[in-house]
Amino acid sequence: MSRVRLLERDDAPLTARGFFRDDGSASPLTRSLVNAPDLLETFMPFLAQIYAPGSVDLATKELVIVRVSQLNACRYCLAAHRPVALAAGVPQEQVDAVCDEAPLAALPERERTLVEWVDRYVLDPGGMDDELVARALDHFRDDQLIELAVVAGVTQLLNHYCTAFAIPPPA
Amino acid sequence: MTQAALRQAVEEGRCGERLWLYATYHCNLACVYCLTESHPGIRNRRHLPAQTMIGLAEEARELGFGSLGVTGGELFMLPDAAETLVELGSILPTVALTNGTLFTDRLLPRLEPLARVEAALQISLDSPDPARNDQLRGPENFAKVAEAIPRLVERGIDVRIATTVDDQSEEELGRLCELHRTWGVTDDDHIVRGIVRRGRADLEGMGVEPGPTDILPELTITADGAFLHAFAPTVRNGVTDVDLLVSRQVTPLAGAVSRFLGVVADQPVGTDAAATFT
Repeated sequence: MSRVRLLERDDAPLTARGFFRDDGSASPLTRSLVNAPDLLETFMPFLAQIYAPGSVDLATKELVIVRVSQLNACRYCLAAHRPVALAAGVPQEQVDAVCDEAPLAALPERERTLVEWVDRYVLDPGGMDDELVARALDHFRDDQLIELAVVAGVTQLLNHYCTAFAIPPPA
Repeated sequence: MTQAALRQAVEEGRCGERLWLYATYHCNLACVYCLTESHPGIRNRRHLPAQTMIGLAEEARELGFGSLGVTGGELFMLPDAAETLVELGSILPTVALTNGTLFTDRLLPRLEPLARVEAALQISLDSPDPARNDQLRGPENFAKVAEAIPRLVERGIDVRIATTVDDQSEEELGRLCELHRTWGVTDDDHIVRGIVRRGRADLEGMGVEPGPTDILPELTITADGAFLHAFAPTVRNGVTDVDLLVSRQVTPLAGAVSRFLGVVADQPVGTDAAATFT
């Protein structure tokens, strides 16, 4: 049971109805966020940009999103992004691994290093060290690592939001 | 920029030039058709602090609004309502909607400065028959209003009467007009309006559901945000409806005005059918 109202399109603020699909549907997350329409004017385009392919491909971003969501035990984001990750081309065994359903050691070196970096970034940012960053930079440019950090940060935000407000996972 | 856009929207009939302020959702009455479920035991009274209302009024004047309306809830549940209203009336012509039941001997002298600014009190009265009126508006409402209005008028305060029509007959309304004339309130200052089917009236199955052009948009500021018109920030089962919310942010006012104008630009031009004068 969500702790904030999930609005239907006709109950949503006039300025936020454009965030619903043509058939009037929207994700539970969007249906909650429309309670704060002013925020959406900037947040939704920001989110769309951060989660779209940029200097980093979509599959890599989705791997990060799923891993961060796993670390935060966000039921909503895992339900929403596991299928997206697969659709973006992340192999099933990699999705299983970042969800702790298969050994991380089985991941290719690039993905294994990325997961190690993400885990430190999310769980112990003060413990981030030069050696780990250097290994990450063997696989990603500095601007790509920055973009992945922003992806991880936004995912954290959504994990906390969806979990604390008990947003029901999408069907 | 915003000023010119507001002026154009008003000239095109897309919106009114009045800014509404929902002073509070708290009320000493529990009218059956209340849009906001306001009542004495309300859990969350949500009010606009006096300085917020005054600041909004000053910004409204700069932006080109022509007048203010203050409503609720019951404005005079706020301890500083009289002084706030005098201040607002010195900034822009102001009409304050009140149930007229709280004008005690202590409050009346504090209201006297209203006679020296452009401010009017619009007092609700639904029937010339005390029992009938009190059925809709609460015990002793008629007696308190009948006592208050002449005392306000004799102090030179501009008083209007608002009647919310449920199933009153023409004859009943006629007798109400005779009554308000005896108090010194003219027909021009008697507003008759239907019940809008929103809020508690919706739950009670009362009134008429307004069409998209039936209510003239007039930016309405509440503690919950800025809404399309004064009938918009309704409450059902303790939860504020946000379907006609245009902005959560109300200060600075220019931001809310900008979003409001964006909404009214997309709407058909209508007429304000919600209120008529007898």
